[in-house]
Amino acid sequence: MFHSRFLASVAVSSLLLGAAPTLTYAETPPDTLIQAWSIDDIITLDPAEIFEFTASEIAGNTYETLIGYNPKDVSDIYGRAADSWTVSEDGKTIHFKMKEGRKFASGNPITAADAVFSLVRAVKLDKSPAFIIGQLGFTPDNVEQNIKQTGEYTFDFTMDKPYATTLALYCLTATVASVVDEKLVMEHAKDGDYGYDWLKTHYAGSGPFTIKDWRPNEAVILERDENYSGEAPTMKRVIYRHIPETSTQRLLLEKGDIDIARNLTADDIAALKGDDNIELESGIKGTLYYLGLNQKNEYLSKPKVREAMKYLLDYDTIANTIMSGKVKVHQAFLPEGFLGAYNENPYSLNIDKAKELLKEAGVPDGFKVTMDTRNTPEITAMAQAMQQSMAKAGIDLELIPGDGKQTLTKYRARKHDIYIGRWGPDFQDPHTNASTFAFNPDNSDDATSKPLAWRNAWDIPELTKATDAAMLERDAKKRADMYVDEQKKVLDNGPFVIYAQEIEVLGARKDVKGIVIGPSFNDNNFAHVTK
Amino acid sequence: MSMTREWLLSDAPLSRRQAKLGQAYRTWLGFRTNGLAMFGLLIVVVLVLLALFAPWLAPHDPLTGDLNTTRLLPPLTEGYWLGTDDQGRDILSRLIYGSRITLAVVALVAILATPLGLLIGTTAGYFGGWVDTVLMRFTDIVLAFPKLILALAFVAALGPGIENAIIAIAITAWPPYARLARAETLTIRNSDFIAATKLQGASSARIIWKHIVPLCMSSIIVRVTLDMAGIILTAAGLGFLGLGAQPPQPEWGAMIAGGRNFLIDYWWVATMPGIAIFVVSLGFNLLGDGLRDVLDPKGQK
Repeated sequence: MFHSRFLASVAVSSLLLGAAPTLTYAETPPDTLIQAWSIDDIITLDPAEIFEFTASEIAGNTYETLIGYNPKDVSDIYGRAADSWTVSEDGKTIHFKMKEGRKFASGNPITAADAVFSLVRAVKLDKSPAFIIGQLGFTPDNVEQNIKQTGEYTFDFTMDKPYATTLALYCLTATVASVVDEKLVMEHAKDGDYGYDWLKTHYAGSGPFTIKDWRPNEAVILERDENYSGEAPTMKRVIYRHIPETSTQRLLLEKGDIDIARNLTADDIAALKGDDNIELESGIKGTLYYLGLNQKNEYLSKPKVREAMKYLLDYDTIANTIMSGKVKVHQAFLPEGFLGAYNENPYSLNIDKAKELLKEAGVPDGFKVTMDTRNTPEITAMAQAMQQSMAKAGIDLELIPGDGKQTLTKYRARKHDIYIGRWGPDFQDPHTNASTFAFNPDNSDDATSKPLAWRNAWDIPELTKATDAAMLERDAKKRADMYVDEQKKVLDNGPFVIYAQEIEVLGARKDVKGIVIGPSFNDNNFAHVTK
Repeated sequence: MSMTREWLLSDAPLSRRQAKLGQAYRTWLGFRTNGLAMFGLLIVVVLVLLALFAPWLAPHDPLTGDLNTTRLLPPLTEGYWLGTDDQGRDILSRLIYGSRITLAVVALVAILATPLGLLIGTTAGYFGGWVDTVLMRFTDIVLAFPKLILALAFVAALGPGIENAIIAIAITAWPPYARLARAETLTIRNSDFIAATKLQGASSARIIWKHIVPLCMSSIIVRVTLDMAGIILTAAGLGFLGLGAQPPQPEWGAMIAGGRNFLIDYWWVATMPGIAIFVVSLGFNLLGDGLRDVLDPKGQK
């Protein structure tokens, strides 16, 4: 009795709640941009630690890195906090000069001391993204000697080898190279933690917006930075609301309760195409979708089987139906838009060819193999489509579902047969992907470096050498050719079936203009949005 | 015909067989007057027939569809009367093949859990004393766990899959049967006929198996039938959470989970298997209710 009365009251109140929006037509305030996004991946707001999609977008809008690039043309590099730079004769040292007369949101001036502090801090704290700077030869022990202030607005950046200058500059476009306010951060430092504890939930930058508040799994609120030296943003506030259900996002967008919905499924996108109040904006991302074939598996280690697998995916159909509008077919390990990206897609669904290859490999009747599948709707749907096409060649693909953590842990321990995954580049230089798809210095189980090639137990001493050499090639044209060559080798022989490149799609109300969608999440920019 | 009827309803049966058959026939006559129960029986019979003749009844392959041409077709499309899902598979065919999984789950759970519950319950009730205490406290412990949560824990430990889901559900389903069997046993263990059998030198196992179990059966059957709906829902729940049948198996709960993502635009993908689960659960419940009316000795006037 108690129960039913309680249930009844819940039912009545939910009816009332459901009715409310139709009575008072919702509209977002004119000076505030409200976005719905699944923001549960944020674990920190400290640029030295941020390595997640959502947090890096927030850092991209609130901090300034030393170097920036044009999101529409990644090869167009320019100074953001840095004004100019020159490279020394031996190619190891870059002399940076900072822009003068600019301020942090706190009012403190931005000087070379802040830039040096930020880089040293990132390397010393040694969090997940620290390797992006660290790979240029900086360790917590030597970073203070090698990144040195030389004047109020100048500093030297000395690497251990003469790496390609573009590689070094692209590393400095990553969020980990954001310039943080030394004075403000050090006020909150304790026990030599470089203010890490404080900055985790606070803000000390100089971007177009400041981070006003972060309530985990609820909202992030950005506010206009009144001290910003560039063109002031038109929006006073940008609010990210945590709304994990895609259908809820879509309903809120249709009703006008939010300005932008960030997680729309392919079917939501198709349905919203006909809505006059909504504009769909898209931009190509660097993220790749791929299958990792573990070379410890007796079947998958056969080169002909690997090749056959590449003929057993219905690339076009997946891109046109399940993932319609959200991906494009791409098969090389450098995403379109990168230096040296190889944009040919040699493979397509060809059952007969695959059967022939399986016969040559000595498994004419196919085999049984498992695939660890993250249980998100899109990954599951793609995995089932692959299961169908592989069955046609006799390969019995058994899906093992699990959440992101389960599947990834198994993958990182290389205990899988096949893993269906997503890979996002860490910075815009080709080295970021080459160093994981075509680099495996030590294939033993207890190796220290564990790139994707290691995770799939692919032993490639020659490609590893090629990747190292490309990192040091300073002629951009030659360097691009080296990467094309590597990509072709991985395409022919590698244990990766790369099948798509992500396109980010967001649904916005018609009056929202000026959104910039860049190749990685920290390039998504809302500074010039009007509505 | 009428001869047989008279033979069955005879007041003075000439053999044990005639008496047994006559009893069964009377039960059936009582059952037949209950319209709702007959409806439930009809649903269950149809389910069994669907499962038996699935390959001949299903218009399409339940596991493969064509993403390019038959994806998310609405119901009443020619050739795809209940529509197709996001993989282009015919929902009707999947429902028909899915009935095999549903039926296998309920049948196997019944086969695994009922004997276990009966054995534990009758043993505890017959021997009493510390055997009773130990067995019943153990039953209480298992009974104290929420069913679905315990099943979830077992599946998580054993790994997802329909076989493990069946084992998990069976493990959680037996305690009520044990309690019921014990209660029945307690009422008859001191009867004269049990004492007489004992005096004739029958072993405990023989007494339990030959004399007590048959008397517990009717109430257990009623209980199991009524539990079928719960078992189907638990199996569907596990499937929905991705812990039961694995893709591409057409398990109804997993089909709902798959269709949930398309609910706004393509309502039928989740709705059709939902209706199937609803109808079959209802069928088992009605059947169980009807059986209780005719089998429960205390209910008879």
